[in-house]
Amino acid sequence: MDTLLIATFEILSFGAIVVLVVLGLGIIASMMGIFNFAQGEFVLLGAYVTYLVHSVGLPVPLGMLAAPVAVGTLGFVLEKLVVRRFYAAPIVAMLGTYALGLIIREAVRGLTGGLYLSVPEPISGSITIGNLHFATWRGVIVIITLLVMAASHALLAYTSFGLRVRASLENPQLARASGISTGLIYSITFAFGAALAGLAGALIVPVFSLFADLGIRFLIQGFVAVMVGGVGSFAGPVAGASVIGTFSAWLPWLMSPVIADVLVFVLAIIFIKLRPQGLVSGRGVNR
Amino acid sequence: MSSTGTGIRPPPQVIGAARSPVMASAFAARTKVLPILELALLIAASIAPLVLRDYITVYATRVLILCLFALSFDLVWGYAGILSLGQSLFFGMAGYAVALLSRDFGVGSIFAVLPAGSLIGFIAALLLAGFLLLGRHPSSVVFVSLGTMTGAYAADRLARGSHYLGGQNGIPSIPPMTIGSHEMSEGPGFYYLVLAILVLIYLLSRFLLRSQFGLALAGLRENEQRIAFFGYKVQHLKAIIFAISGAIAGTAGSLYAFHEGFVWTNMLGVVMSTQVVLYVLFGGSGTLIGAVIGTAIVEGLSFWLSDNYRDIWPIILGVLLLLVIMFRPLGLISLVLGERERVGHFGPGVKEKRNAAP
Repeated sequence: MDTLLIATFEILSFGAIVVLVVLGLGIIASMMGIFNFAQGEFVLLGAYVTYLVHSVGLPVPLGMLAAPVAVGTLGFVLEKLVVRRFYAAPIVAMLGTYALGLIIREAVRGLTGGLYLSVPEPISGSITIGNLHFATWRGVIVIITLLVMAASHALLAYTSFGLRVRASLENPQLARASGISTGLIYSITFAFGAALAGLAGALIVPVFSLFADLGIRFLIQGFVAVMVGGVGSFAGPVAGASVIGTFSAWLPWLMSPVIADVLVFVLAIIFIKLRPQGLVSGRGVNR
Repeated sequence: MSSTGTGIRPPPQVIGAARSPVMASAFAARTKVLPILELALLIAASIAPLVLRDYITVYATRVLILCLFALSFDLVWGYAGILSLGQSLFFGMAGYAVALLSRDFGVGSIFAVLPAGSLIGFIAALLLAGFLLLGRHPSSVVFVSLGTMTGAYAADRLARGSHYLGGQNGIPSIPPMTIGSHEMSEGPGFYYLVLAILVLIYLLSRFLLRSQFGLALAGLRENEQRIAFFGYKVQHLKAIIFAISGAIAGTAGSLYAFHEGFVWTNMLGVVMSTQVVLYVLFGGSGTLIGAVIGTAIVEGLSFWLSDNYRDIWPIILGVLLLLVIMFRPLGLISLVLGERERVGHFGPGVKEKRNAAP
């Protein structure tokens, strides 16, 4: 019984991490129709900013606040300079953002000297319930993930900005004709997706420590999750991420981690093959 | 996936071809660049070992093998529009297979290991293509690239975890490849062997692409739906070219394994797959020579630069790649090669037939 509770908590917290990483990817893919291969590196960059703030002696939570702002700003600039050119050709966009990711990854590798750097948890210790111990920070990640998810959904579903984003997605010409600056909307959406990745990186760096290939670890996972969930809706990527996160955390309890890791992806690919539209089909935020 | 389900084209289609008769005749009148380029490179490659120092010849052999690998990616991406982000799966699988043949069964004869490597690449690619491409729902390009990438990642993970395959360290000190009783060691001999294989496969690919099959592929690349309406089984065509490219990648992988003398997990995984994408995009996809040039330039630059600028070289490479994708989507080859010649013509009879038609 105790192990079951511990396992559930582990699965929940890892699922939350995957959801957090995938959310930004899903929003960019769903709202803009391009797969951002640099998303993993935005996560890495968020982690690096947090480390940087920590290494100059400032408190870690400050770094975690700075990370989404810094990465979001970078995302905004990159969208203006580079990504903008690729909207007509989604495949070229994959390659272009891949090149961006390569640049960021190698830059961080150069800056960190290829080392594994650790950042302490801002809230350490564990919560004890009965004779069970839960790492507090992982609990905090779960709560923040839920808050971020709710806030993103509210932003897209209920605000006038969200309405503009959805309008630009649904019919760019008509949106432009109605006086919406679709270019600006795209920039902000991309920056928002990047900021979410930055936040994810900042929150997970105490758990995983910082290394240059941190992003790659999540990139394939993120893509598979978005495809499993279904592109085009808000709920799709979140659902996909929950499923992938749950399986990734649960299967290693049953078999060797290597087999489990591979099995998750193979099962996911087979699922996508049989149901290309994903778990949640259709467009829009509320569907 | 609605925005990417249909109408996805590889970069060659994005740029409108010069189709007006005036332009066409102007291009036809110009001297052909492609054969000159191919011949010049062949001559340069043949005399290279005579002027280069030995350790550079060894490096050049590796570059030639990678050219072969790049060719296999160019066939699927540049000609059939399949973005295979897991091309190294076939490369590495064949490499591991011949390494095991050599280690555990003592088979090192070139006449056994090269066909074995190609066959393994072919079968693996055919199976993967059968799963990813065929079926009731036509697959989107994103799905295929994700599927191939996952394949490479999975193989990498499994090889890392497998004790039999040497885990992280791979399989070291593979016995050399033999021709009869002669052992092939790195140096000019190996160089010319690889060059001969590369030229042979290059010519075969060239022949294939200029045949009826190549014509159908070109149509597929230009307008997939229209080719489907003509009654071609589009997904089957893609699967065939994918399997052929798998065989070429397998050949390259087995040569690589014997040339380096060891195989390790990077050969299977995402690192190598992305490397080959870099080569082909850089040189110019959609031309066979573009893949060769791209590989030679990227590897050549990294040879000279990585000594002095080891830390920033990968960053420079990324920036260069980004610039090429943004401003030269057809690669460096498009600096000297016109659109019409890149698309090419198909067989001597085509023109007469077209004129004869009412």
